[in-house]
Amino acid sequence: MLANYGLIGLFSIVVVLFTLVMVITPIILRFLKIVPSNPNPIKNSIFECGMETIGKTWVQFNFHYYFYALIFLALDVLVVFLYPWAVHLRQLGLFSFFVVLILVFIVLIGYIYAWKKRVLEWK
Amino acid sequence: MNLELFIPEITLAVFAILVILLDLFVRDKSWLRLVSLSGLVIAGGVTVAMWGDDSTAIFNNMLAVDNFALFFKLLFAGIAFLVILASTDYVAKFARFQGEYYALILLSTLGMMLMAATTDLISLFVALELTSISLYVLVGFLKDRKSTEASLKYLLLGAIASAVLLYGMALVFGSTGQTQLGAIAQAIQSMSLESVLDSPALLMGIVLLIAGFGFKIAAVPFQMWVPDVYEGAPTPVTAYLSVASKAAGFAIILRVFFSAFGIPEWLSMNWGMIFAALAVISMIIGNVIAIPQTNIKRMLGYSSIAQAGYLMVGLAAIGFAPAIATQGQSTILFFLASYALTNLGAFIAVIAISNKINSDDIADYAGMGKRAPVMALALTLCLISLIGMPPAAGFMAKFYIFSTAVQNDLLWLVVIAVLNSVISAYYYLRVVKVMWYGQPASGEKVPSSGAPRLALFLCCLGVLVLGIIPGLVMRLAELAGKMFAF
Amino acid sequence: MIPYQLVWLIMLLPLFSFIVNGLIVRPFIKPKSRVYGYITVGAIGVSAVLSIWALFSVMSASHHEIPVPDVTWMVLENGVTIHLGLILDSLTAVMLVVVTVVSLMVQIYSLGYMHGDEAGYYRYYTWMSLFTFSMLGLVLSDNLLFTFVFWEMVGLCSYLLIGFWFHRKSAADAAKKAFIVTRIGDFGFLAAILILFFNTGTFDIAALHGLVIAGTLGGTVLMWAAIGIFAGAVGKSAQFPLHVWLPDAMEGPTPVSALIHAATMVAAGVFLVARMFPLFEYSTAALTTVAIIGGFTAIFAATMGLVMNDIKRVLAYSTVSQLGYMMLGLATGGVAVGIFHLFTHAFFKALLFLGSGSVSHSTGTFDMRLMGGLRKTMPWTYATFLIGSLSLAGIWPLAGFWSKDEILISSLANQPVLFWLAMITVFLTAFYMFRAIFMTFHGEYRGGDESGDYKHTHESPLVMVGPLVLLAILAVIAGWWNVAGGFNEVMGAHGHEETRGFFGGLFGAFTHTVQGVPLPLISLLVGLFGIFSAYTIYIKKWITAESLGRVFGPLYTLVSRKYFFDELYENIIVKLALMKGLFTGFTLFDSKGIDGTVDGVSDVVISGGQAIRHAQTGQLQLYGLFIGIGVVIISLCVYFFG
Repeated sequence: MLANYGLIGLFSIVVVLFTLVMVITPIILRFLKIVPSNPNPIKNSIFECGMETIGKTWVQFNFHYYFYALIFLALDVLVVFLYPWAVHLRQLGLFSFFVVLILVFIVLIGYIYAWKKRVLEWK
Repeated sequence: MNLELFIPEITLAVFAILVILLDLFVRDKSWLRLVSLSGLVIAGGVTVAMWGDDSTAIFNNMLAVDNFALFFKLLFAGIAFLVILASTDYVAKFARFQGEYYALILLSTLGMMLMAATTDLISLFVALELTSISLYVLVGFLKDRKSTEASLKYLLLGAIASAVLLYGMALVFGSTGQTQLGAIAQAIQSMSLESVLDSPALLMGIVLLIAGFGFKIAAVPFQMWVPDVYEGAPTPVTAYLSVASKAAGFAIILRVFFSAFGIPEWLSMNWGMIFAALAVISMIIGNVIAIPQTNIKRMLGYSSIAQAGYLMVGLAAIGFAPAIATQGQSTILFFLASYALTNLGAFIAVIAISNKINSDDIADYAGMGKRAPVMALALTLCLISLIGMPPAAGFMAKFYIFSTAVQNDLLWLVVIAVLNSVISAYYYLRVVKVMWYGQPASGEKVPSSGAPRLALFLCCLGVLVLGIIPGLVMRLAELAGKMFAF
Repeated sequence: MIPYQLVWLIMLLPLFSFIVNGLIVRPFIKPKSRVYGYITVGAIGVSAVLSIWALFSVMSASHHEIPVPDVTWMVLENGVTIHLGLILDSLTAVMLVVVTVVSLMVQIYSLGYMHGDEAGYYRYYTWMSLFTFSMLGLVLSDNLLFTFVFWEMVGLCSYLLIGFWFHRKSAADAAKKAFIVTRIGDFGFLAAILILFFNTGTFDIAALHGLVIAGTLGGTVLMWAAIGIFAGAVGKSAQFPLHVWLPDAMEGPTPVSALIHAATMVAAGVFLVARMFPLFEYSTAALTTVAIIGGFTAIFAATMGLVMNDIKRVLAYSTVSQLGYMMLGLATGGVAVGIFHLFTHAFFKALLFLGSGSVSHSTGTFDMRLMGGLRKTMPWTYATFLIGSLSLAGIWPLAGFWSKDEILISSLANQPVLFWLAMITVFLTAFYMFRAIFMTFHGEYRGGDESGDYKHTHESPLVMVGPLVLLAILAVIAGWWNVAGGFNEVMGAHGHEETRGFFGGLFGAFTHTVQGVPLPLISLLVGLFGIFSAYTIYIKKWITAESLGRVFGPLYTLVSRKYFFDELYENIIVKLALMKGLFTGFTLFDSKGIDGTVDGVSDVVISGGQAIRHAQTGQLQLYGLFIGIGVVIISLCVYFFG
């Protein structure tokens, strides 16, 4: 038991040491004047690369988007189930045919539900 | 494949879908209630018909069909029936989402039924999530700020609890190589004592399982969500949550810990001790914090934490009992049945009164003895039962559970539990006092309609029957206590 | 010989009256209808007749016990069977007669007394029936579990009836106080039941007695069980230090005080000790505790009775004091001595309470400073009250003399120190009772209640005076049962009296000596001296009460403020220690710890949505943190202790 924990302990020590070394090395290098220090605004900006953002970064999506996403997700998962079933339909036999039929039926009801609740209309 | 053993669950699923479809095409929403109620009656009826001595497993040993599961299925169907009956007036608040309300109640009931039957960690998790996700939505049904907040909190904390539970399952699976409860038990028994001691992962897994289930049954320190969620949720959902969800949690705990970790004895003593400790802090924290509460739903929330503590006294007794004894299980089943009736009764009365006076403050219940005498009388009976005073059901339930604990050398725990019952009398009786001796705010009567009255009558009748002639239900619980094992 | 079915009937008749009144008649008849009273009186009347029959049957039965077959109530899986069974032995038979006869008198009296109470009439009789049923169940029960159930039920009825006039805040408070204080004792009782069950596996009283006598049950277990049972008795019988609820309980209607808080329910504690007496007999420590608490309560309560101005409170303290006497009698002389005093006390104390009710019916108050001179306008009440007081003061040949005498004799033999306390109490008792009589019935009328028109006092109606007269007769003759040792014989105690016949016993009391001292004669003289002292102060006014108050100033304050016990319990223990300390601590935990984040942020006025969002994250993290900490603590505990 102790041996198992010993390995974990060794691993943790290595992790801590590695982190410390990574943090301390630049500081020491800077202290030894090996690394030059000449900051400028571009270097200090948050994004080192890519485009500057224009306006607020928080954008509101229309809530309907989520409805579409959810329904898409449900149908997508159904396809994931249907594909392997369809490939092996002959071996699986009649029972699995009806099982999948029930699954499709349930998803269909979800679709009808969304339709009747006017989720599919973009307002 | 024995699909006929799966009929109660199939019935509920079919009726849930039926309710959703009907909701789309029917204008008179009271049909939905009728359909959901009839679905529950059919499911319950089939369950009763299946009651018997032979028990088996279905779906590759994923689900058990035994008296234990049937007892809980019947209990859940009954609870859902009463909750739906009681929310007759309340659903008006949900405006155009009534169909979803009924369907979600049916689906979460389905999930709970599966929870009681499950004998495999994987089906357990699926059943648990089916229950929880339905409940997350139900809690937020009022769509006001409090309700939404409660729902979000419940969702996030529930997700944490699920994660903890999954960690626990993973550790148990890792150390035994099995997910099937019976197979886990065999794996543990085949290990030598040293090798069990040498795998703290198993113990850690058990602790994490307790934490995950502790969230469901609202045991301290996993109870933080209770007051906020109980207060924010629609009252019928609170009632459902406090009774059915808790009972399902105890069903699953009984099943998992008794089937998988019941042997060897030192292991069961170990988790028995954990439950004993949780019982002590749950009872103390629940009862003491309930005292200064001014909102009746919050107060009942804390009271339900304390009641979970009493139930855990029974779990501790099971842990300390010899491995084959089933008396502990039956005491818990009896307590759950009596607690379900009592707490539902209390909540139904609260629903009926609060819905009319638009307040949950205990102070606003003043003079209800005059304004709504029937409701006040029923609430008084239920509160007396919660204290555990004769002749109500709570007395027999507590007596039964405490006497089992005493027989298993847990006298110290029972002394603490009894002391706590004494403390609890203070806040329960304060409500009684306010209702009967308080000055009513107005002389106006508080009316109530037929369906909640019927539900309340059924609850009170049950409370009295269980309190005065407990023999029948006790016999039932004793039969159901013998769980199906592989 | 009484058939056993009728024994069940004694108990079930009041239940029947409760059900008929509460559930069957109520929907059809106005709440103030007299029908409720008639049903109750009828049911309890039949019960009383059957009880008397039962008593005579028991007296003539062999071993003074009549077997009653059990009914199996439930069988637990662990092999424990719980029977619904009754005991009918001499102790129960005596209690049955006390309960049903006093209850009957009180119900008849209430027909007149409660007549003015329009809406409560039905409620009153319904609850009184329930109380009588529970009390009979308590004395008849043959196992501790049912004893406890009925024990709680009489407590509940007492709670309901003290708070009968719940629109008065003082009544509602008194009801709550009574319930909570007695529950402290009940906890001890329940613990004792569990200890006994844990060690013996039975609830059956006779079986427990057998185990104790056989020596199977003994030592510390027995001692703690006995002390636990006594704790229950202390709560119910208002013994020191749980005596504080009984005087406040006088907020209930007077007939309720007479029945519940004088004659029956408060005596249930004494009854319980008597019922479980073998447990005490075999545990010296427990028996000594009973004696000390009883003796101390007797004198302690009597001193407070001296200074009360409310006539019912005087009687209440007197009841506490007499209950202490009974406990002392039980502990020193056994069941027969204690229960004999319970038997006589029930009649004369109920009489006194009903008399005080009759007085207040006419004057509208219980404050003795507003009464006076009622002897002329209320001759019947005066005469019966006088008989009751003489009996309580222990004046020959009334009932109180005989029962008190027994207690003094036995305490002299076993607890000499407590004997002296008891002797002083005899003086105090006589003094405060006659102070009450002189203030109420003598002198000039001082006008009654100021708020109403009570200028002209009148005698109460026949329906109220009748029970007074009957009880007065019982207060005279009840003691004669034991003049020749008859009661002791029935209770199975071998009295110290030599057989000398009724008249020999009646007059032999003067010459009877104990350890060479003519004890009965001395106690009689002490009682008479108490009456004389009251006479000198309140009639002749040789010494005025005021001057006494001046001389004993601080002492007077101490006593009249009830030794500051209410303050101690309510202000210091409940308000300071519990409310301020514990409850605020937990409230803080709830409100500051959990809601504090919400409040704190929303106090700072920033936009509402922002506040909620911030608060929510804060809270949830806290909640999640608790789950995490919980898991860590549990795993650590398992790791270290598992």
